[in-house]
Amino acid sequence: MTGLTETELHGLVGHRFAGGRYRIEHWENWLLTDCTGREPLPDGLVHPIVLFHVPILGVGTSITELFELGGVSGPGSVGLEGYDWEYFGPLHEDVEYRMEGGIVSLERIIDDAGRTVDRMAFEITLFDEAERMAARITNRWVLRR
Amino acid sequence: MSEPATVHVGDEIPPWTMPSVDPARMRTMAAILRDPYSVHWDREGNAALGLPGRVINQGPLNLGYIVNMLLAWAGPSCVRRLTVSFGRPVLDGDIVTARGRVTAVTDVDGERRATCEVWLERDGEHVVTGTAVVVLVGDQSDD
Repeated sequence: MTGLTETELHGLVGHRFAGGRYRIEHWENWLLTDCTGREPLPDGLVHPIVLFHVPILGVGTSITELFELGGVSGPGSVGLEGYDWEYFGPLHEDVEYRMEGGIVSLERIIDDAGRTVDRMAFEITLFDEAERMAARITNRWVLRR
Repeated sequence: MSEPATVHVGDEIPPWTMPSVDPARMRTMAAILRDPYSVHWDREGNAALGLPGRVINQGPLNLGYIVNMLLAWAGPSCVRRLTVSFGRPVLDGDIVTARGRVTAVTDVDGERRATCEVWLERDGEHVVTGTAVVVLVGDQSDD
């Protein structure tokens, strides 16, 4: 199964997420940090790995919706290729960040095992309450057909 | 251990080890991420992937171990950029160690920054590899 035709696939490039806002609460940061195996950071600093889920949820989408957009489901259908995360300053709890972004590239390739694989990248930018750029992420996923 | 104020190219970052990747933490993480992907909690479902009885750790957690190494070394607000690629999956019960090495020290926007080659290894195999840029502001290690 290929899920999406190449035309449908290329049509997703430029897709913009709804955009929105997200406030990282203390409990969420505490649990997330605990999952990494360390103590909470001081002074309301959030653990840097919030840049996985906070941009996705804050921009008004979800992992489920991204899977649906890419036409994939089931175990083994999605893999992480890589991240490029930039921090223009430390991120904090209880700050409302505004986010915007979209899908920036999609490429269909045949992998070494002869399977059809789509490489999808999406980029999201976070702005703080003064509208300064706070962070920017580019995530690259592999969608297996 | 290097003091960040006196960091030099070639310095090794003190490693950070997760002694056993915990499936309970994967379940909590799945809830926080609102992640429906069953590979993180459905052991039987992973049989089709050739991983019967095992669950796969989230990529952000694998990166989190690398970040914890950086935070312990250079302080709680040190991270400026993370660029990583994911290789092999990390499974519950795995012992993984984050390691890194300084490849450049530069002054940018009034900050002294170190660019570091970083990786996560399991039994000597690199399962995550990449580059981190951190700010050096004296000995601000928090551990």
